[in-house]
Amino acid sequence: MDELTSVFIQEGREQLQAMESGLLELEQQPDNQDNINGIFRAAHTVKGASGVIECHFIEGFMHKVENVLDRLRNSDIQVSSDLTGLLLRCCDHLGRLMDVLESGAAEPEAEIKAAGDALLEELVAYTTPAAPVSGGSVVEAQADVEASGGGVVNTDSWHISVRFGPHMMRGGMDPLSFIRFLASLGEIIALETIPDAMPEAAEMDPESCYLGFEIRLQTRASKAEIEQVFDFCRDDCELRILPPNSKLSEYLKLIKELPEDDMRLGEMLLRCGALTQAELDEALSSQQRGRLPDPAGDSEAEALPIGEILVDQKVVQKEVVEAAVSKQTQVSEKKAVEARLIRVQADKLDQLIDLVGELVIAGASANLLAQRSGQSELVESTSILSRLVENIRDSALQLRMVQIGETFNRFNRVVRDASRELGKEIDLVITGAETELDKSVVEKIGDPLMHLVRNSMDHGIEKPDVREARGKSRHGRLELNAYHDSGSIVIEVVDDGGGLPREKILQKAIDKGLVQPTQQLSDQEIINLIWEPGFSTAEQVTNISGRGVGMDVVRRNIQSLRGSCEVSSTEGVGTTFTIRLPLTLAIIDGFLVGVGKSAYVIPLDMVIECIELTDMSADRDFLNLRGEVLPFVRLRDMFEIGGDRPARENIVVVQFAGQKAGIVVDQLMGEFQTVIKPLSTIFRHLRGIGGSTILGTGEVALILDVQALVQRNVRQEERDMNANNALPRSTAAN
Amino acid sequence: MGQVVQSAGKSGKSVAELAADSAPQQYLTFTLGGEMFAVAILNVKEIIEYGTVTEIPMMPGFIRGVINLRGAVVPVIDLSCRFGGKSSQVARRTCIVIVELEQDDQKHDIGVMVDAVSEVLEIPRSDIEPPPSFGAKIRTDFISGMGKVGGKFVIILDVARVLSVEEIAMLTQIGESSASEAA
Repeated sequence: MDELTSVFIQEGREQLQAMESGLLELEQQPDNQDNINGIFRAAHTVKGASGVIECHFIEGFMHKVENVLDRLRNSDIQVSSDLTGLLLRCCDHLGRLMDVLESGAAEPEAEIKAAGDALLEELVAYTTPAAPVSGGSVVEAQADVEASGGGVVNTDSWHISVRFGPHMMRGGMDPLSFIRFLASLGEIIALETIPDAMPEAAEMDPESCYLGFEIRLQTRASKAEIEQVFDFCRDDCELRILPPNSKLSEYLKLIKELPEDDMRLGEMLLRCGALTQAELDEALSSQQRGRLPDPAGDSEAEALPIGEILVDQKVVQKEVVEAAVSKQTQVSEKKAVEARLIRVQADKLDQLIDLVGELVIAGASANLLAQRSGQSELVESTSILSRLVENIRDSALQLRMVQIGETFNRFNRVVRDASRELGKEIDLVITGAETELDKSVVEKIGDPLMHLVRNSMDHGIEKPDVREARGKSRHGRLELNAYHDSGSIVIEVVDDGGGLPREKILQKAIDKGLVQPTQQLSDQEIINLIWEPGFSTAEQVTNISGRGVGMDVVRRNIQSLRGSCEVSSTEGVGTTFTIRLPLTLAIIDGFLVGVGKSAYVIPLDMVIECIELTDMSADRDFLNLRGEVLPFVRLRDMFEIGGDRPARENIVVVQFAGQKAGIVVDQLMGEFQTVIKPLSTIFRHLRGIGGSTILGTGEVALILDVQALVQRNVRQEERDMNANNALPRSTAAN
Repeated sequence: MGQVVQSAGKSGKSVAELAADSAPQQYLTFTLGGEMFAVAILNVKEIIEYGTVTEIPMMPGFIRGVINLRGAVVPVIDLSCRFGGKSSQVARRTCIVIVELEQDDQKHDIGVMVDAVSEVLEIPRSDIEPPPSFGAKIRTDFISGMGKVGGKFVIILDVARVLSVEEIAMLTQIGESSASEAA
């Protein structure tokens, strides 16, 4: 695929997204003219660009879509949910067409084509009373001149003079495609090629473009739209557009401004049918006399933009020009914002992060050596170095950060479609869309979030009638919140639906043998049963959720991102799912501890404090932390590390998901910048170890996954208990 | 599980077949518990001295741990333990052979701990016998053939099977759950 096409696909998808979000907004505010214009602009840009790369199946499709949008914009048709639904489906289809283009196929497959034709069929309903000019198919550029010679003049068409810049073709643009695209706006009545700039054959550069065109265009399109046709080469061409019914003086000015010989140009205009012979003669002679027939067009006019001249001469209404101008500035402002962004390939960025990771490791090793050498100057300089490295690390990681808003916005559409399908009225409220997190996390969080959102819509929020009966507003409320919280990012999915039915969950868990009927469970424990594999409360499998992929998959996906998820729910009031994720997957601040000869890293943001283990409770694994009961895990026992316990053991108090626990270790070795190195896939079933890192000495240290470690310990103790209880009394006594 | 092993075996065979096509074949030979083994040289990435190996807790004995290979963390397998013998002792000539495998469209580097590396040999196709159906004291599917070198037999290993990532991952899971049950 050539570069131009890939740029088109990338930008086209962005426009598509803009179009889709615009359409969703349109449903909320049908009267927002800016929004309709925005949608139209997006569709139009896609169409224009597809014309430039000569992808005719997209161009043709978008042309029809644009016709409907145009009518919408001109308030010829009204916004209705059917229409927006149809247009949204058109967006989807456009997405599929782009996939086709991306795959390199010349034409979409019959199936996709049929789907597109079906959509176009539906669109026709909105274009039936279409204006004769815009309704037709793409009109081929007609080279024959209808109005040569004397009298016939088409004053009701636009006149476009364009002189393409010499570098145009080097930039990958083909003048012909612009004209072809122009023809899609309306009908080209006449077209004259101006080859005057063409040098002698010997001097001619075949890669340069020397051509200009005088075009008569009959269309309902606005001036801005015609200008947009030339958007791609705006900087590199001279463009003059005269509206229909322009005065003679306009044409005269045009003749004057253009580089070509006046007489010759006059003939051209004549041939195009813009002027009659008599008009031309009069104009030229009056020009020779040194003044223009219309006084408004003289000296000051040259400095004024064409729009103002037009107003002066009462050719177009002021409002029209203002609208066009504001549209142009909007476009250019948007361009300015885009210019401050640089597109970088993701793998280049990954490479940079990898290198920074290596730098951190190398820096740690230099630090270690400097400290061993005992030279204070060396220690000082390495510490400055490591501070800089730390800064580089932070800014490098910042590069990967993206706002979560994009992911959230996708749900607008999901919620809209699903609420239709389910016959519910659901409003989506998004807060914290600007919260940033690592790109790789953002990519992977989409699916679990989708599952939670669909679940909330399907099982959580009630039907409008039920809601009314329960004294709630008919509209259900679904919230997506994101915010930072102590080194991690929290994403919440909140609904104000019926909440999780405890009785039902418990009954189902008993039916499935997940719990014993005699077991006493707290409310929270019952709710947590939904995370168990193979648990699904939906009585019937619906389209939206409950395809048998349970919440355990959601949890597993989140855990694979080193995150955690919780649920809290009040019956009748609503349910909140809380997902906690690390900010980045590449580098963390760690706390280094030692057991025997091995070193382990505990993520620093989980560590609350470190205390000495005073040997009071030799047998029971809990202690009194300022009045709180703190259970702890002995790492030496758990990891079956040999050797004797040292005289002094320490406890690292960690907190995760609102729970506190202690980890007993031999030594505390301080903070350590930890570059996470994934362990081989061989270890993917290993619980309790989150990854590995390389110490300054070159040794590998393991990173503890505190949460999994504690859970593992809990399970193990439970199992021991059950085993002990099951044993006969005599053995148990031993 | 049987399926998994089989599919891993298939990919292993294709490696062996590829290797067979490009005759004459070179093999790296090494000793393990006094016995001579060989692996196709195309699988071998490098050979390093046995250095600091970080143990991974809660793992079966044949997983020795992980090492730092110029910034990459690579697992090390104790081959003699994998064959069902006792774990090897670290001696002066103990080496780690880094083997590169391609499984499930992913490249894996795995270190193999051996007692000593001998030499690179060329063994012609004609001198390679099919593996015996029993008696080698090693799972027969681990053996890709028996090479005749200087009147003795050298066991040529099917690396893709011996170091099947799928199988090892499965074993670690079993090892883990049984370990916690035992505790």
